[in-house]
Amino acid sequence: MKHHLRIYGEFVKNCFAEAMSYRLHFVLLIVMDLMFYLSVMGTVEFLFLHLDQIGAWNRNDFMFFMAFMLAVQHLHMTFVSENFWNFSYDIRMGQLDYILLKPANTLFVVFFRTIRPGTLLNGLFPWGYLWYFGDRIGLVWWQWLLLPLLVLLALALMTSIEILMSMSMFYTVESMGVNFLRMQLQQVSRWPDIVYQGFARYLFGFFIPVLLIGSSPVHFLRDPHQWRGMVQMLGLMGLSWLAIGVFWKRGLRAYESASS
Amino acid sequence: MSELSKWWATFRVSWTQYLAYKMNFLLLVVGPVLVFFFIRYNLWKSIYTLEGIDTLQGYDFATMLTYQVWVMIIGFLGQGYNGRNLAEDIRLGRISSYLIYPFSFWRFHAGNFLAFQGIQVLVSVVTLAAVVAQGWVPLSSASQALAILTGFIYTLCVGFFWFQMSYIIGIMAFWLDETWVIRVMMITISQFFSGALLPLEIFPEVLQKILAYLPFPYLTHVPVKLFMGEYDGSLLTAYLMLGFWTAVLLLSGRWLWDKGIRNYTAAGI
Repeated sequence: MKHHLRIYGEFVKNCFAEAMSYRLHFVLLIVMDLMFYLSVMGTVEFLFLHLDQIGAWNRNDFMFFMAFMLAVQHLHMTFVSENFWNFSYDIRMGQLDYILLKPANTLFVVFFRTIRPGTLLNGLFPWGYLWYFGDRIGLVWWQWLLLPLLVLLALALMTSIEILMSMSMFYTVESMGVNFLRMQLQQVSRWPDIVYQGFARYLFGFFIPVLLIGSSPVHFLRDPHQWRGMVQMLGLMGLSWLAIGVFWKRGLRAYESASS
Repeated sequence: MSELSKWWATFRVSWTQYLAYKMNFLLLVVGPVLVFFFIRYNLWKSIYTLEGIDTLQGYDFATMLTYQVWVMIIGFLGQGYNGRNLAEDIRLGRISSYLIYPFSFWRFHAGNFLAFQGIQVLVSVVTLAAVVAQGWVPLSSASQALAILTGFIYTLCVGFFWFQMSYIIGIMAFWLDETWVIRVMMITISQFFSGALLPLEIFPEVLQKILAYLPFPYLTHVPVKLFMGEYDGSLLTAYLMLGFWTAVLLLSGRWLWDKGIRNYTAAGI
């Protein structure tokens, strides 16, 4: 653990050094993230200009959910997101060879080595929104204490599902499609489960459980009696990691090492 | 080799390249369809059913669904992925080989774009046939067929606009290390302000008035209305507006290429 923490510290330092070398890119990243946050919040804001509620949720409830998902997304974009694009490149160009030789857990190096410092500094917006709407819906002290933990848990589930999905990159080689699909599933998860009905709710609540990412923690936070979603979330996360272990080994056997 | 045969050769090579990774291509098509069926359909159905409303800013559920179907089709035809590797090609010196071809760099990419559009037209026709069969898009009269044809021609022009935009963003790599951020920014802004996420009628009135002077509505909202046969503005103005911005992009692209190629170091040679 200590060994990997030290390695992670080096990854962070390298990423900060790189970000400082390309300052314009760094600034553009911040602007890009802001635009993304504004477009997500703007969409809901404009909808509620014409609606009082959607189901049992009023504007503040809905905005709190969106802010919760933006906070998850913020951490995801900072700490994980770019690694999925790198993984696709590593497989296609045979760069994975060098990672496999490193004296550290390969999955850890593949999915956690790139951090976006620009996005990290941009956290004021999503976390500010979360604080603001948390206040508007009247969260009490224990809910405030639980909130960051639930955001981290949601991030863990999102990352687990995406790592499992990206195992298919070993077979597709050109992986823009997988990454594109991954982003579409993020869009699915960005809306609360109350919006989905019938087959969609079943599909994304159980088989590709992206609806659990935001909906389970938010339902639990609002009403602790709704704990079943949390159990489901933890169970599916465990299953995801079992499956990742299996598919990672299979994927490595299928990997053709393009560079050699 | 005649000029036409160069275009044809580029078209054929690009067509083959796009379809070489079949699973990848399928996923690129599946993505937008997934978003349509699972997010937009469910979101709007919830809004109309849970709230028990019949119309929202003039849209009933059926019209809203039709609007969203056309947004998906315009996404297929209007926004390609051309030029996404241009920055890397420039940075790693890979464009050197293109510079000695008897076919200009821009023409090569335009040929590539045409091949992509060819595939996307097929994808759109298949998707459209499915949604018409489902009854989500009405197609029973000659006027509806004419509206679809008008919208289709206009959307192909939108596709060319986006190709040129992507090309410009790509060749900015002569100066910038990475250009994907600018591409994502452009897509985020235009999706939001063009009516790809919400019909513009849902926007605050002040914003609607401001947007009328910008190119964004002409990229999604106008073609959707054309497809639906509900566009009440002047078609000539729409073409002129789109043509003006495309011309600006073409001229800027030429200028940027002339300046940028002087910066090019042909790394790796």
